[in-house]
Amino acid sequence: MFTFTPQNLQKIEALKSRYPSPNALALPLLWMVQEQEGTISLEAMEAAAPFCDLPPIELYRIATFYTMFKLAPTGRHHIQLCKTLSCALCGKAEILAHLQERLGIGVGEMTPDGRFSLEQVECLGSCGTAPVMQINDVNFENLTPKKIDEILKALS
Amino acid sequence: MIEIFVNDQSLHVNEGVLLIEALIQNRIDIPYFCYHEALGMDGNCRMCMVGIEGQKRPQIACDTIVKAGMRVHTTGERIEDVRRRILELELVNHPVDCPICDQAGECKLQDFYMDYGLYDSAVSKGEKVHGAKHVDLGANVMLDQERCVLCARCTRFTCNITKTHELGIIGRGDHARISTMPGRKLSNPYAMNVVDLCPVGALTSKDFRFAQRVWFLSSTPSVCHSCAKGCNIFIDHNAPKYQKERIYRFRPRRNDAVNGHFICDAGRLSYKSLNDHRLTCNNPDAMDRAKALIQAAHNIALLVDANLYCEQLDALVAFAQRIGAQLYCPNQCYYDEGFGDEWLRRPWRAANLAHINTLGITQSTPSEAHDLIISFNHPDLSSLTCKHKIAFSTHEGVEADVVLALRSWAEEAGTLINITA
Repeated sequence: MFTFTPQNLQKIEALKSRYPSPNALALPLLWMVQEQEGTISLEAMEAAAPFCDLPPIELYRIATFYTMFKLAPTGRHHIQLCKTLSCALCGKAEILAHLQERLGIGVGEMTPDGRFSLEQVECLGSCGTAPVMQINDVNFENLTPKKIDEILKALS
Repeated sequence: MIEIFVNDQSLHVNEGVLLIEALIQNRIDIPYFCYHEALGMDGNCRMCMVGIEGQKRPQIACDTIVKAGMRVHTTGERIEDVRRRILELELVNHPVDCPICDQAGECKLQDFYMDYGLYDSAVSKGEKVHGAKHVDLGANVMLDQERCVLCARCTRFTCNITKTHELGIIGRGDHARISTMPGRKLSNPYAMNVVDLCPVGALTSKDFRFAQRVWFLSSTPSVCHSCAKGCNIFIDHNAPKYQKERIYRFRPRRNDAVNGHFICDAGRLSYKSLNDHRLTCNNPDAMDRAKALIQAAHNIALLVDANLYCEQLDALVAFAQRIGAQLYCPNQCYYDEGFGDEWLRRPWRAANLAHINTLGITQSTPSEAHDLIISFNHPDLSSLTCKHKIAFSTHEGVEADVVLALRSWAEEAGTLINITA
């Protein structure tokens, strides 16, 4: 059974007063679910729906529309490599190939031990330090294969 | 009323209506997928582009409110070119499977391609984005995601009309598709209307798919007999080679005073009982035996079905007087409280109970004093005990001294009085 933590319930109450309609809570609610559980389950969408006064299908539509909402489990260290222009020009392909080789997984996959998952994303907003990747919420900049090795080692 | 000009022809239309409504009401050809008179405008398909004098670019007619003196062009090279290009994009990921698609023959995509398309596609000829085929949504509705043009008529129906919210468009871009919540089904008593609403072959009826090509069907306007509401329908029928005439489906027929654009699923599927187990031919001496029984009887009860037409009931009243019979229409068998709802379904499941009321026919079970019951298709006949019974029946399986075949309501013309409240 999915339930929001008491802290999140407090947050929801606080957010409610900020919007003219509870419908506007749909995105914050999905974020809270993802932060709390790691992924957004169907059960959680059903549980969250009454808080924003929407039918569950609407939350499902929103969750499938935005790629940053995770419907399937990701690794403990979720690697998101930027694929947009600056990073692509500064050697993203080489970084990707190196990551795939080191982790033994392709894009969109997870290592069997559940530690790493790999994904390509659009611009991470750090073009000046391309190529860039984000592991969970932390940015890693000016990547080189050597730097990747160090980062992965530190995470092991 | 204000005056607008469409292709230089003057039209008088109500103030404040949408341009597309004005065009449809005046029977001016305009292609559209997402607009529907019952669902309103959505503006997502972009097919209804028209040229409006004084506006730089073509506009969609479904999101334009008429203005006095507006000059509109629905034809011309520029507009047709725009439509062609929009259609081309609608068709990018559409499978070319018309020969095996049930919508063929009543498909808007086919129609518009023949009207406006007829191009060599300039869009990439690479692999199309594939979607799931034959997804069973529930409630007899099958989904083919590849054929969908994302007009959102079905999702707007479950969202705004039935308010059951089963369907939604999920994902985005090329991968956007219609779906239910995983593990949930489309389930409401009006669900099959989405099949009629779907302008293409994405939603098809499990009950009708692969049964018949639509161009072989004849449509006869009629009224549903599944309850007292009297929803207007089309009966689609055909006699396949070497077979008897069969009904293949009921479709809603628009009547804003009764059912709007829709019918319930129970009514829609009620055609089945008209095809099977029908009583067709009479025993040659049946009439004589019936006559003898009537002449010998002293106390006759005449049982009439509440689905008979007014003309038939009036004739039976005269017949009852002539043979000195008492008329009955026991009504409990028609009452199904669980069937009624706030919209189209009525708990009285017979089409002409209002006329039974008007004629003052006794609506209780006949007393046991009668020595002959003549039934005109009344469902209670088998449960009644009487010395002799004569049954006029549309279906087999009736126990009586004499059984005579009766035409079904779909094979007769007549008048019904519905109960709208």
